[in-house]
Amino acid sequence: MRSRSFAIVLACATAAVSLAANAAGDPAQGKIDAAPCLGCHGIEDYVNVYPTYRVPRLGGQHAAYIVQALKEYKSEDRDHKTMHAQASSLTEQQMEDIAAYFQSLGNQDNGKH
Amino acid sequence: MKKSLAICAVIAGLFVTQAVLASGSIEAGKQKSQTCAACHGANGISTSDQFPILAGQYRDYLIQALHEYQKGDRKNPIMAGMAKPLSEQDIQDLAAYFSSLPGPLEMLPRGR
Repeated sequence: MRSRSFAIVLACATAAVSLAANAAGDPAQGKIDAAPCLGCHGIEDYVNVYPTYRVPRLGGQHAAYIVQALKEYKSEDRDHKTMHAQASSLTEQQMEDIAAYFQSLGNQDNGKH
Repeated sequence: MKKSLAICAVIAGLFVTQAVLASGSIEAGKQKSQTCAACHGANGISTSDQFPILAGQYRDYLIQALHEYQKGDRKNPIMAGMAKPLSEQDIQDLAAYFSSLPGPLEMLPRGR
């Protein structure tokens, strides 16, 4: 009995740890998966059309916010056809990885975190 | 003659209004940004990573995002409530202010 409940506790703990690892995201993997993002978000002053506005700077942005935004594009809580297509191709782990990569970038001397 | 002068003045006036609207006022935006600071930080750099850094973001992207929250093209209960009461001038001013602030945001590096 005791060993069984121990096993359950251990299983839960393992699940919690793997969840935490999941949430952290791997910036090295994210850099690889972020290749398609560069076509727009890697070009200074790149302009979205219909409507016209410059696409956002993402280097140095918070990872948790990036993941949330990608999920909203995927679920169409944010209405943007290109970003919906891009986000729909990503697993949650890929979103976490890409977001961790973005957060690692930016001008770190300029008031980062 | 007087009439055409008046028409010219009105047209010129329209252009000036348009220019002010289009640029937004950094100073006015700063005044209006107090509510934003609770989540987005005192200088547009949020301390909670749930909320985006706004400092140094593109002005026209910030305007677009606020319009989308206002129209419901972005469905976010917090930002819907924040964006709804904003006038077009408020949006222009806030975007002018936040885009003028120094921050960490940059485009993604290519080929590295």
